[in-house]
Amino acid sequence: MEKNDPEKSGRNELKKNDVGSPTPRTPPNLSTIDEKSHRDHPQLQPQQTGDHIITTLSNVDDSCFSDQDHNIDQVSQDIDQFTDRLTTVDHKSNPPQVPDVVETFSKIVESRIAKYYSGGQNRMKFTSKMTEEESFFLEAVRRMSKLINAFSEFQSSSGSGSTTNSSLNRTSMVLQKAMSFLEEELRALLEDSRTSLAHLEGLCTKQSSFNSMRDDSDRCAFPPSELRRDEEGDYPAYSPEVVTKMSRIAAAMISAGYESESCQVYSIARRNAFVEALKNLEFDKISVDDVQKMQWEALEGEIAKWIKVVKHCATVLFPAERKLCEEVFSGNPSTSRSLFTNLARAVVVRFLDFAEAIALTRRSAEKLFKFLDMYETLRDLSSAIAQDDSGHDLKSEISAASDRIGEAAVNIFCDLENSIESDVAKNPVPGGAVHPLTRYVMNYLKYACEYKDTLEQIFQQNKKVEQQSVTTEEEEGGLAISSPFSVQLIAVMNLLDENLEAKSNLYKDPSLRDVFLMNNGRYILQKIKGSTEIHQLIGDTWCRRRSSELRQYHKNYQRETWGKVLQCLKHEGLQVNGKVCKAVLKERFKNFNTMFDEIHKTQATWVMSDEQLQSELRVSVTAVVIPAYRSFLGRFRQYLDSGRSAEKYIKYQAEDIETLIEELFDGNPTSMDGILL
Amino acid sequence: MPATDYQGPSASFTNFGRSILSLRREQVHSMENVQEATSQELEAFQRQVADRFHDLSAVGSDDLLSLPWVRKLLDVFLCCQEEFRVILSNNKGYINRAPMDRLISDFFERNVKALDVCNAIRDGIEQIRQWQKQLEIVLCALHNQRSLGEGQFRRAKKALIDLAIGMLDEKESNASLANRNRSFGRNNIQKDHQKSLGNFRSLSWSVSRSWSAARQLQAIGNNMAAPRANEIAATNGLAVAVFTMSSVLLFVMWALVAAIPCQDRGLQTHFNIPRQFIWAVPILSLHEKILEESKKRDRRNACGLLKEIHQIEKCARHMNELADSVQFPLTEEKEGEVRQRVQELGEVFEAVKDGLDPLERQVLNFGFWGYEK
Repeated sequence: MEKNDPEKSGRNELKKNDVGSPTPRTPPNLSTIDEKSHRDHPQLQPQQTGDHIITTLSNVDDSCFSDQDHNIDQVSQDIDQFTDRLTTVDHKSNPPQVPDVVETFSKIVESRIAKYYSGGQNRMKFTSKMTEEESFFLEAVRRMSKLINAFSEFQSSSGSGSTTNSSLNRTSMVLQKAMSFLEEELRALLEDSRTSLAHLEGLCTKQSSFNSMRDDSDRCAFPPSELRRDEEGDYPAYSPEVVTKMSRIAAAMISAGYESESCQVYSIARRNAFVEALKNLEFDKISVDDVQKMQWEALEGEIAKWIKVVKHCATVLFPAERKLCEEVFSGNPSTSRSLFTNLARAVVVRFLDFAEAIALTRRSAEKLFKFLDMYETLRDLSSAIAQDDSGHDLKSEISAASDRIGEAAVNIFCDLENSIESDVAKNPVPGGAVHPLTRYVMNYLKYACEYKDTLEQIFQQNKKVEQQSVTTEEEEGGLAISSPFSVQLIAVMNLLDENLEAKSNLYKDPSLRDVFLMNNGRYILQKIKGSTEIHQLIGDTWCRRRSSELRQYHKNYQRETWGKVLQCLKHEGLQVNGKVCKAVLKERFKNFNTMFDEIHKTQATWVMSDEQLQSELRVSVTAVVIPAYRSFLGRFRQYLDSGRSAEKYIKYQAEDIETLIEELFDGNPTSMDGILL
Repeated sequence: MPATDYQGPSASFTNFGRSILSLRREQVHSMENVQEATSQELEAFQRQVADRFHDLSAVGSDDLLSLPWVRKLLDVFLCCQEEFRVILSNNKGYINRAPMDRLISDFFERNVKALDVCNAIRDGIEQIRQWQKQLEIVLCALHNQRSLGEGQFRRAKKALIDLAIGMLDEKESNASLANRNRSFGRNNIQKDHQKSLGNFRSLSWSVSRSWSAARQLQAIGNNMAAPRANEIAATNGLAVAVFTMSSVLLFVMWALVAAIPCQDRGLQTHFNIPRQFIWAVPILSLHEKILEESKKRDRRNACGLLKEIHQIEKCARHMNELADSVQFPLTEEKEGEVRQRVQELGEVFEAVKDGLDPLERQVLNFGFWGYEK
């Protein structure tokens, strides 16, 4: 069946063709005159003609290459004319006689294929640029498929048309050979230019047939310098010449009705290349089951890797694949779109598996930020793919997965309420300092609000949460703009307030209670002012109300702690019958000293974590105590006996008092023994 | 330092419980009403499961394991799951109480494991899709061609060889591959097709190389036992619903693995279902039937028991034999035979083409089961 003997039959065919082809001819032009002379006098130089034809058709020799081309031009023209004739025939029932030139043409193409396959020894030099030789071949294949198409318009007429069929049969077989050759060629081009360095070795031995026809001394399909392997910069690293070549091959295959084959070769090669690229990025498959069993620390690492890989795909690999598809299948946009979408889908679905597995894991507060990172990554991926209309299905799959991640994130965030509610302490924080819960919640919120836009988006999508929180919003008394997320945020803040209020009641000393509330309130306010995002979400009204509350705590403290002290310094009540009563005065001074000492001893251990607040507080204490003390001292010291008595009752000068006030709220641990509260 | 525990209270099952139970706060019954309603609900659920599986097992041997049948199986599964979900949401009071909390958490774990099976099955569907593409080429070559020449047959033959290699079960070694190639007789086939063999293998995306469907099925079936009387009493009968749903899950996963190619298939999973459950009989009888099918001589080495896979194999074999026997020009008789074979092939092709996409969507939906949309 595969009797490939072009030397013998080829000679006969050409002779027949030369002598008596029924097809009308165009007048010879200058370039064919030389050949013509052979043809006109075949008897004169039979040997020479024979040799000529033999070399033309089988052992292609550089020396007679040009002659062959002339021949081929003629044959090609004849084929085109026959094809034209076939297409213009009205009655497609009776096919015309197939001229011998068809057979000749088939043999020429066949011999080319054979030559390519035995490529190694050939002396022709191929660069990665499209050569005329290759162009001719692709052109010939196209011509051949057109002929067969035109002929297949005629009804098969077995019996009488058997000769017709047999010569066409040969042509169809050669076309099949040509197609499977092109298929291999396309595969070789696709695979040999893959981006992994590991392939470099293999490249030099495995090579495409087109490309194998280069110098023996340089058997690498591409010189290593041409192999651009920087995966970041130039994926998938095919040179423009190679892309052009692939595109030409794909076009030839598609026009011959071999679209399925070309697509399959392409998609398998690109999928493998993609798997390779993912492997290089160290993306491994972890089963849903394993994800559930992994420790969070390990999982965090996997998530970071996943994000890196997905981002790389969205920004580098997918756009590159899309471009390559468009270039290789430039004549068939719908084919290129579906090839790209299928590739992207296969990859993305794998990414989504991981995202879903993560969404199924136990929820806990610290996972929020990674979940949000994943959500944002998926959103970017979706918009990277959205360009393709046909990617619509894929887009909805991505959004389904990110919805689940988003829902998990919302639940985690809402769990913060439970965490706050369940934080019931039995002992107060020493010195009225900022409670760890306050620090935790505020830092958590601050960090979360760095994802403000994303959280707003997610909360918007989860209407359920919005409904639950509507009441909170109304209680707030008409906040101008309240997104579901800000409503949730305010709910958390209010819950924290309630919790701190409850915790403040653990302090028996009302002053310390005020200090605790001041400390925590101040911390919260500072955090809010330090984050534009939270500030925007919470709103000025809320902050103003908070500030005035703080001022109230301050006033309460002043009154509570210093009110009694100031009572001692009152000028009233000292005179009996218009005279200053020494005993009462002495009592006053004694009381003042005791009270002040007590306050100093206690409150020096109290804490003001915020320096500004600390100094504000000291200043305000100084401002009320010092003038009162000065004036009291100024007015009444004269009534005390000088010397020992005065020293006994006037323990402090105004400056001493000032110094001691500066020692308040130092959290000084040395004097803390036993008097924490 | 105050005892401030910031860890959220959510264990996996509460998380699961929260998602599976749509918040039906409006449904507040008195305790007696709940008990009565539950027992009716549970009975209806078991009856439904039994009826559905009776339906599935009442098919002829031609329809069993066909694509439409597998799709129906998945539909049944999704329906059962939905009913189960409703039962749980109507009985939220029990879910966080022992022993129901443990039962639910075990069930959740089984579902997670089933998700991995589904991902592997999706790869299998992708693999069948690759075969479908080879069939398409064969049809392209031989269908609607006015004249059938040697070229067309070669084209078809090439696709058939690719198909045969693609369908080789993983267990069959490269040795048998080489053997097959020799019989195809073309010099460069071996080289070409080892390439495409590698291609087919690497199309498996979803599971790691060491993953095994057989082991996964075993893991799903682990510690799955019919509830004891005290468990049933303590859960207001819900333990029975959990066991029912777990059994359905295990069976459906097992049947999917039986039907669709996937990594390290194995059908030795043991079904320990007491026959007093009304749904036990149809499920066990289906199990029996499928096992029988897998033991048939021509199916023993199949990469999946799906009817259409068998048909593809058969049609491809016939077509191959025919392609080897034809001489050119074709006699009228041969041509008729070819057209008939092509038509058979076309029918399988259409069946696969129409069935795979919806099947894939169902498998994908399976994965979403625990969530509220």
